[in-house]
Amino acid sequence: MARHYKFACFTCKVVAAALLAVVLFGLAPASQAASNGMLKVGVLEEPKSLNLWLASDAWSNRVLSMIYQPLFVREPKDSKLVPWLAAGEPVYDAGKMTYTLKLRPAKWSDGTDFTAEDVVFTGKIIKEFKIPRQSSKFSFIEDIVAVDKHTVRFELKRPKAIFLTRTLTTPIVQKKQWEKVVAEARKSEKPLSALLRQAVDHPVGTGPFMLAQWKKGVFVYMKANPYFFGKGQVIEGYKMGPYIKGIIFKVFGTADAAVLALRKGSIDFYWNSIQAGYLDQLKGDSDIKLFVSKKSGLYYLGFNLRKAPFDDMALRQAVATIIDKEFIIKRILQGYGEVLYSVIPPGNTFYYNPDVPKYGYGMNHDQRIKKAYEILKAAGYSWEVPPVNGQGQVQKAKDIRLPDGDPMKEFVILTPPADYDPHRAMSGQLIQEWLRAMGMPAVSRPMAFGALIQKVKGQHDFDCFILGYGKLSLDPGYLRSFFHSAMNKANGWNMSGYESAAYDALATESNNAMDLNLRRKMIMELQKIVMTAVPYIPLYNPTIIEGVRVDRFTGWVQMLDGIGNIWSFCDIKPK
Amino acid sequence: MRKYVLKRLAQVMVILFCILTILFVLFRLAPGDPVTRMVDPEMTPEESQHLIEQLGLDKPIWTQYLIYLKNCSTGQFGYSIHYGEPVAKVIWEKLPNTILLFTTAVLLSAMVGISWGKIAAWRKGKATDLVLTIAALVTHTLFLPWLALLLVWIFAYQLDWFPITGMVSDEVWLDPTAGFFTKAADVLYHMVLPLTTLFLIHFGSYLLVMRSSMLDTLKEDYIVLARAKGLKERDIRNKHAAPNAWLPVVTSVGLSLAFSINGGALTETVFSWPGIGRELVFAVSQNDYPLAQACFMLISTVVLMSNVVVDVLYAYLDPRIRY
Repeated sequence: MARHYKFACFTCKVVAAALLAVVLFGLAPASQAASNGMLKVGVLEEPKSLNLWLASDAWSNRVLSMIYQPLFVREPKDSKLVPWLAAGEPVYDAGKMTYTLKLRPAKWSDGTDFTAEDVVFTGKIIKEFKIPRQSSKFSFIEDIVAVDKHTVRFELKRPKAIFLTRTLTTPIVQKKQWEKVVAEARKSEKPLSALLRQAVDHPVGTGPFMLAQWKKGVFVYMKANPYFFGKGQVIEGYKMGPYIKGIIFKVFGTADAAVLALRKGSIDFYWNSIQAGYLDQLKGDSDIKLFVSKKSGLYYLGFNLRKAPFDDMALRQAVATIIDKEFIIKRILQGYGEVLYSVIPPGNTFYYNPDVPKYGYGMNHDQRIKKAYEILKAAGYSWEVPPVNGQGQVQKAKDIRLPDGDPMKEFVILTPPADYDPHRAMSGQLIQEWLRAMGMPAVSRPMAFGALIQKVKGQHDFDCFILGYGKLSLDPGYLRSFFHSAMNKANGWNMSGYESAAYDALATESNNAMDLNLRRKMIMELQKIVMTAVPYIPLYNPTIIEGVRVDRFTGWVQMLDGIGNIWSFCDIKPK
Repeated sequence: MRKYVLKRLAQVMVILFCILTILFVLFRLAPGDPVTRMVDPEMTPEESQHLIEQLGLDKPIWTQYLIYLKNCSTGQFGYSIHYGEPVAKVIWEKLPNTILLFTTAVLLSAMVGISWGKIAAWRKGKATDLVLTIAALVTHTLFLPWLALLLVWIFAYQLDWFPITGMVSDEVWLDPTAGFFTKAADVLYHMVLPLTTLFLIHFGSYLLVMRSSMLDTLKEDYIVLARAKGLKERDIRNKHAAPNAWLPVVTSVGLSLAFSINGGALTETVFSWPGIGRELVFAVSQNDYPLAQACFMLISTVVLMSNVVVDVLYAYLDPRIRY
């Protein structure tokens, strides 16, 4: 037995000595980042997959957006679509319903030519395999033809507005790399599943960077692509780089660690929105610059219009009047966000309609209560104790009754839990209190995200909910998905169950409109219809706050959704 | 002994089968599925349905269960829904990192804890005992993420002695001239803070168990006899008392070692340590059934087997125990 003891003591001493050696002699190099033209970017998670067709998370997309490029991208100033891999605007033949597009001379990162065949191949596999998130962009396309090496023709079954905004912004993959993979997947009983399970260890792209090394769970190293088509060219006024040797994505498990790393200089850019709580310490650091950018986000309260009392438009308008969005921005988002009155955020300048009904706009608390009381009273609601007394003074209301005289039953506002999104959970609490002030028996209940989605989207078993989209597409095609009656089905996007024949007709027409200005008018009208019926009450759109170090790199390009964009990475230069 | 071991192994197989079934049922009872929770307006309901069919999630639950049992019996845990890679590959990429950190932490905590527990018991009621016992209680009850962040803030940010977080330095791993020892030293350098955190949190429990066990042993007649024989105090402590106080500690260390493959989501998150704990949390939260089931199966198997090993070890450590 003494042998065990001696062994234990010996091992203990060896481990302690080894640790001491590391501490005292600093065997590893200092962690302070040295530039060497290498940009270090902090992220919270590593990519889940580099298979473009599988990856759906934001962290994978950060890396993939450096590799795979689309034909058109949004420019930084006005978020307009500009040719990227395309050489110019597509030529539309209305008679034949075709678009013909010239391609830029470009090369893949393995040095081979990028051709029309690659574009045709990409479109065809998306259609054939019905690739999630992509296939709806190609479902209305009859055929894609390579006219010559650098010309491609899209033959449409029917006009579709999203062709320009979404089909042409689909990333293009290399035929050479994928055709073997696709051939193998076709042999499988479940071809899509087989395609999604393909490991892509060395993705070949046309973007400014290419994958050099991925140390799983720790860092992703991307080096500048020597064949990048934009190198040295001026696109939208930017002389394209990249001017840096590469990018290293470093994984940090928490925002605390990432912010400390930014301050310490271990990273040059933390590619995630920084929470307001960190801003005071960062603002005082002269080596750090903060960029506050608008976002294309929508956070909202939704009703279940399939059941009473939420099928009553007057009630929904009254609830919209009571909610003090300014207060939510000020207290919960600590001022870093904008109030939303429409389901299209103001950052989407082309389609945003500022002239929708703005419930409670400019009103204080008492004015909101009085206005909501007025709306509900006119609709036949009554109270045991009304929110406004005979002298016109606001008081604590009690027991609201529906127009038929029945008391309003307790209803639940479902929110994601605070550890998933504290803003939405806290907004639910505030809205609960405002509704109770009106005598409405509201209860805010946080629920695990998966369960919430299943209840709201899958089963339609809910009263109200607070959800949001952090990065909505700039194409407003989602207005049709969110409120068209055809989408009012289990797992459909019309979670509220809003139905209107007039809305359906206009939404479908807008999705088929090829004239941008005509479509814009329709989208403006759709916003008015939605905000009159208020199946959703848009609440807020948080701003993105990103931090960079100013001592090593310069040239960040700010646009909608922040500075983490292809323009920045093609423009930044070492100091 | 052989009969006993075979009997225990048979029990393990039955328990494993039960665990397999419970895991399957639990994950299917959890609301949502991996596709429904992809809240992306660009995903149409038709695409969702197609994906569900392709992933085999539309099959009747019994069919899914039979496929699952068949896969488990052949050691095939399928593909992770989110990584698109074989589950075994995903686990294997992270498991060594977890074992390296957590098993080292358990061993270090156990060795120091046992050693100090023995000393504390020997000096019961004196200042050494008081200091060690209070230190054990205080560190053992600290909130791990708080302690971890405090250490990072002091030693990594303020003093700049260690890296903020992570497992390796990209400078070293991207340097073509860096050899094995340089890389190993780099990992060790990154391990210091997480290891210190885990050590501080865990050594106290071993210390207290050992102290308590040792105090019981010191009351035994053979200790009185040893003293009566005039043996040296050190020999009585180390050769007569300590070895007999080891038994309860062995159970504790054995199970901790087994659970160490589970990692720790909090530690791994705070220190950005790419281990299995974070994967497990991710898999459960994202309804990645194959990955989550395989992680739990692995943990269950190791824990059950380690129980068998600990029982066998008992007989070795204490010759009075016979099966």
